[in-house]
Amino acid sequence: MTWILPEGASLDLEGISSPLQVLRGLGGGSQGQVFEVEVAGERLALKWYLPACIARDPHLKRRLGESIRATAPSEAFLWPLALVTPGPDALPLLRLTEPGFGYLMELRPAGFVGAHEHVGGHLAIGLLQVLRAGFFLAEAFHALHLKGLCYKDISLGNLFLEPSSGRILICDNDNVDVDGRDLGSVLGTPGFMAPEILMGRARPGANSDLFSLAVLIFRLLTRHDPLRGRRELAIRCLDEPARRRLYGEAPLFIFDPIDASNRPDPIEHAAALITWPIYPEPIKLLFEQTFCAGLQAPQRRALTGQWMAALAAALDQRQLCGSCGQETFPAPSDPAPLCWSCGCPLAPPTRLRLPHGQVTAAAGNELHPHHFDRLLNLRLDQPLARVEAHPSAGDLLGLRNLSDQAWRAELRSGQQLVLKPGQACNLASLVRLITPAGAVELPC
Amino acid sequence: MPFPNVRLANRPLHFIYICDCSGSMEAQGKIQALNQAIRQSLPGMAEVARQNPEARVLVRAVGFADRAAWHLEQPTEVQQLQWLDLQAGGITAMGEALELVAAALQSPPMEERALPPVLVLISDGQPTDDFDAGLAALMRQPWAQKAVRLAIAMGHDADTEVLQQFIGNDPGGGLPAGEIPGASGQRPLHRSGRSPRRPLQASNATSLAQYIQWASTAVVGAASMPASRMAGSGPQANIPLPDLPPTLMDPTDDVGPLVW
Ligand SMILES: Nc1ncnc2c1ncn2[C@@H]1O[C@H](COP(=O)(O)OP(=O)(O)OP(=O)(O)O)[C@@H](O)[C@H]1O
Ligand SMILES: [Zn+2]
Repeated sequence: MTWILPEGASLDLEGISSPLQVLRGLGGGSQGQVFEVEVAGERLALKWYLPACIARDPHLKRRLGESIRATAPSEAFLWPLALVTPGPDALPLLRLTEPGFGYLMELRPAGFVGAHEHVGGHLAIGLLQVLRAGFFLAEAFHALHLKGLCYKDISLGNLFLEPSSGRILICDNDNVDVDGRDLGSVLGTPGFMAPEILMGRARPGANSDLFSLAVLIFRLLTRHDPLRGRRELAIRCLDEPARRRLYGEAPLFIFDPIDASNRPDPIEHAAALITWPIYPEPIKLLFEQTFCAGLQAPQRRALTGQWMAALAAALDQRQLCGSCGQETFPAPSDPAPLCWSCGCPLAPPTRLRLPHGQVTAAAGNELHPHHFDRLLNLRLDQPLARVEAHPSAGDLLGLRNLSDQAWRAELRSGQQLVLKPGQACNLASLVRLITPAGAVELPC
Repeated sequence: MPFPNVRLANRPLHFIYICDCSGSMEAQGKIQALNQAIRQSLPGMAEVARQNPEARVLVRAVGFADRAAWHLEQPTEVQQLQWLDLQAGGITAMGEALELVAAALQSPPMEERALPPVLVLISDGQPTDDFDAGLAALMRQPWAQKAVRLAIAMGHDADTEVLQQFIGNDPGGGLPAGEIPGASGQRPLHRSGRSPRRPLQASNATSLAQYIQWASTAVVGAASMPASRMAGSGPQANIPLPDLPPTLMDPTDDVGPLVW
């Protein structure tokens, strides 16, 4: 690749107070190139735009400036930190006729991979992490929309995942705009765009973000596309006009409860048929809401808060199948749940009773502050306790205190003990845990 | 427990190089430059293929000189591809090459469902056989009509007329010179008059490498997975083509001073 900024050069740029050293090129796309740089001892990423991109999007610079002033909605965004333009000494070093501008952001930490790696089946990841990723994505959009902003062009290409934790990062935040103002040129990416945008009936904003968010969550959860069923099989050459029909002119959800004419094909669309039964009813209802009524009526689409609640609730009821070990998500109200993977009946699990909700005792499940206080925001990133398997006796489950305060444990023997931060205690012997946030009760 | 072992169904994307191997390609290291450019472009192409879970990118190549023949006949996944050098010598049987490609795009052997194929014709001269018959045979195939057809002219002796016929009419045709629509049929962007719907003029090894890289990454990306759309796009072509690589000013051109 020929780099626009010479690797190794020190550039004097307006917008930052110290000179910037270009360490190496990281990559380039249709919009510009991204470099690893060092400014005042700190490693950052610098995106530099190509003239064609700036010409197409006359308000780009203004939007970036406003985003920088507004600051990042949450840590999930690789948000622009500073806008930079070349100073007189830097001009001759740029390999462009029109020098343009760029912006600084944080470097994407190692361990995050493109979400397409998951959808393409190249990634070892668990259902727990995938559901968490869906939650974090909804949470990020929640924070963005609460700031009055919209993203406009979310797709697999700007989402990154950490497979071990399910944490996410959203890149390419340069289309972010004040919702409803429409100071931008981007429409979105076909396949993720809401039908009214693809068909030119509306301009992108928070409502169309909700459609794209649902598509992304669907693709994370199923590795399939919500609108590609039998109708896709009738298409020989999948080109622009065909995508327009599939996603804009005549979209139909593959699991539409009333119209079954676009169901997945058992061979071509096996991923959808295998994964859909995994998920609890409330999640499926949000997809139906968004991809049936919400296809044509943007105000009917599932909201970010609804996604967060449904995904967090699914994680609370996660249970490992006693026969095959797979992660399952049976509803507590289901009298005779079966494992989606091996078909065996699932034994009634132990459920930890909390002031607000229940959490199934399964290795990896966590207790969060919102389980103790319903007024707190749903969050998954500050767990108070985690269920863990005993390191040598795998079927023994313990609960580890992840908080920084000591808890009082009441045991079946009538004994009491103190569970210090970082310690775990055997769940089987436990009746009750008293924490400053509230009590955790086990069934007798 | 791992996520179930399933993945998004994908469609084949056939990418076919149609390469001039006539004697004139021997001059000034042109054939070497072409082999190098293709070989160098493969890692980037593999990376794009990986980022597009909807596509299975399969590469083939035809060479033409006295006769046309498959240089790489088996559709090969780009990740597995090892480029063997093309050799130059002979005349320019371009028409026959197009007939070979036409046969390959017939169904069968073409799959029933696929992404639009990408055909890249590279030449430095004039066809010496019946180009019109070859092109007509090609364009009778529905998959060829749907294909993204690109052409690269190596040096200034290439017959840009026939290359333009291969590409088809520039849908932005009829515009005054210098007002060529840019990517995705948008407003004019390339004051130089460059357009992906015209033969791309490679006048040295560096620009050849850039065009080959562009065709094998940006165009493959556009044909396999849609990219961001901008407002103001005019009537959409079958596949909106990405911007051409920018003309970068490079005082320290490290690829060599060859000019064709
Ligand atoms: N903050 C970052 N840290 C590390 N790498 C980054 C960062 N931002 C972008 N990159 C990498 O730089 C390359 C170019 O990224 P970018 O998203 O800007 O391309 P683009 O021009 O937007 O491409 P596209 O055509 O997909 O829109 C990619 O490989 C991307 O992963
Ligand atoms: Zn099972």
